[in-house]
Amino acid sequence: MLIYGLINSAVLALMALGFNLTFGISGVANFSYGAIYVVAGFVAWGLMEKLHAPHLLADAATIGLAAVFGFYLYKLVLKRIRGLVISEVIATFAVSLVMLELLRYIGFIGFRYSLPVFIDGSVEIFDAFVDIQRLLIIGFGIVVLFALYVFTHYTKMGLAFRGIAQEEHTSLSLGINPDRIAAWSMGIGSGLGAFAAVVILPLGTITVDSGYDVLINALSVCIVGGLGSTFGVIVASFIIGYAQTLTATYISSHYTMIVSLVAILFILAVRPSGLLGRQKELEERV
Amino acid sequence: MRRSIALFLGVFFLAGFAHQSSAQQYIAVGVPTSLKLIEGYEANKAAQLAVEEINAKGGVKVGKEKRLLRLEALDIRDGEPGVPVSEALLGIEKLILDKKIYAAVVGNFRSEALLAAMDIYSKYKIVNIGTIAMTPKFQEKVLSDKDKYKYSFRQCLDSKYLAGYIQGLMSHIGKQFGFKKVFIATQDVLWAAGTGQLMEKWFKANGWTVVDFERYPTGATDFSPGLMKAKAGGSQVILPIFDMPTSGILVKQWESMKIPALMTGFISPLMGSKGWSTFGSQIEGSINVPFELGNLPVRAYPPATRFYEDYKKRWKEELQSGHGVAPAYDAVYVLAAALEKAGTLDPDKVAAAVEATDMAGAVGRIKYDAGHQLVFGNDPKTSASAAVFQWRKGARVIVYPEAIADDQIQRPAWMK
Repeated sequence: MLIYGLINSAVLALMALGFNLTFGISGVANFSYGAIYVVAGFVAWGLMEKLHAPHLLADAATIGLAAVFGFYLYKLVLKRIRGLVISEVIATFAVSLVMLELLRYIGFIGFRYSLPVFIDGSVEIFDAFVDIQRLLIIGFGIVVLFALYVFTHYTKMGLAFRGIAQEEHTSLSLGINPDRIAAWSMGIGSGLGAFAAVVILPLGTITVDSGYDVLINALSVCIVGGLGSTFGVIVASFIIGYAQTLTATYISSHYTMIVSLVAILFILAVRPSGLLGRQKELEERV
Repeated sequence: MRRSIALFLGVFFLAGFAHQSSAQQYIAVGVPTSLKLIEGYEANKAAQLAVEEINAKGGVKVGKEKRLLRLEALDIRDGEPGVPVSEALLGIEKLILDKKIYAAVVGNFRSEALLAAMDIYSKYKIVNIGTIAMTPKFQEKVLSDKDKYKYSFRQCLDSKYLAGYIQGLMSHIGKQFGFKKVFIATQDVLWAAGTGQLMEKWFKANGWTVVDFERYPTGATDFSPGLMKAKAGGSQVILPIFDMPTSGILVKQWESMKIPALMTGFISPLMGSKGWSTFGSQIEGSINVPFELGNLPVRAYPPATRFYEDYKKRWKEELQSGHGVAPAYDAVYVLAAALEKAGTLDPDKVAAAVEATDMAGAVGRIKYDAGHQLVFGNDPKTSASAAVFQWRKGARVIVYPEAIADDQIQRPAWMK
């Protein structure tokens, strides 16, 4: 239970990190995030299955393409409506609907789309067999977190990211272009979504409907953790991940679906900015 | 000038008449279903294959006239989440009023939509042969007013028959291995949880111990807590009932966690030939129940294999659904035979001819009961039949019913 709870938490964290990064930097709630995740899965599948690209090359290309897509989605669509929160949500959700329903329309239906695991097989840990792909997910989660930390603390662009996140107007006075940084945050956020896809999807199959599930999971974790807070995402992933595993073990799998919803309701009632979010901290104190 | 106008009008009317008579040669058969779900998508293709075969032989002889069939498919989306029943019904009426369909095959996914559609078919006297929705309330509704609902038939198995096959299979496993402990895992949707409940009652009434009954929300991706319960409780059989894409993960985790129990039930993603390439060798040893013959080739029953191969040849790919596809193919043939037998397009007479059907199809012998449900049994020579197969090294080996079985059920390697 401890191991599978940890894996569940890592899956949730990976799903939410990209969404959280984009929101934290640009303020854009990217509702096309789930669609990007699913399209990335299909792109990786196409590269491997149809073009016979090696696994890692296909994954790298998919992540790159997703990042480019996110970057230009901001440049071409979101830049013009930035700051208009409702318009941003409508625009990104519309993009999501177009992408997912287009996939369905052109025939990506059925159960045959899946990505191969990185390493096949399972290992025994404390009397429990765990497949290696699930263990890799934990490893990938740690690597991504470390990479994000290095990026935001030791690179020029990463520092600009933090500057925009902390105070956009002051950053502007220091020569940091907020639109450029926001576009990059969309790109990197989308790339992280694609990364999550190529790591998590080998566990099962790629389906259009999972785009909506991923978006809901990402939103749940981010709302509970606090929108824009990376550490909050990690904490929330552990809380929700273990709560789901404990519910499935001691109550029933039937109730796991409401765990994240209950967590959202509780957080919104008690601390609307989330466990570690600062979006409305001042208003909450007042 | 007058002559030119007269000539023009003459040609115009002749052309119109010619067009009308050409249109009259066709009998339009509607396929109102969820075309973006795999069962609907492939059932439509199967019906198309039957129409092409019939037309290639000159069509259907209705009285003294040969008539060609034409398929009119419409995506009514009732199998997709959130689509209201009313929208599906509007689609069916659109086919009837705009496309002037004479009959319908395949039909609704959702049972409530099927039950509501029966009234529309009755109102317009449309002979319809459904191949997807599985509620036993269909027969009850037909029997509640036989005259009103005489146009509705069902060509696939219903949930009672499905439960019957699983019960037969469990008895078979009980005899072969002496197993008496089961863990039930179903998707948390009405049909799957309902079948699970039926099975739970049956197990308890037949001396089995039900270790637990877990219902998983649609989209679940981690089944480890349930599998650990199954292992801790000493389950010898795991009965899964799922049609969601992520349910393949259950079988993969069963193998990777080395759960010492037979995985035996209904898991849609593992049904088709591509299940092996999608999920890999981790599904080795799992046992699955396709709902009707013809949805997979059956060595002991050549018509099922013939349909399977013809589908593959026509569409350049093997069918992947376990439900509704071979019945859709048969439904068109049932309709064609009824039209020929009735010798007229009078829907009352054609419905009566469908009711009296007794012919061999891809699914087995085709006969309907009093509630217009296709009769299922264990021998395709005397009734329609389901088949149970076990994945072995990438092949689907039929292990039940005994009349068509190619081999005995084998335990997975880690159970031996």
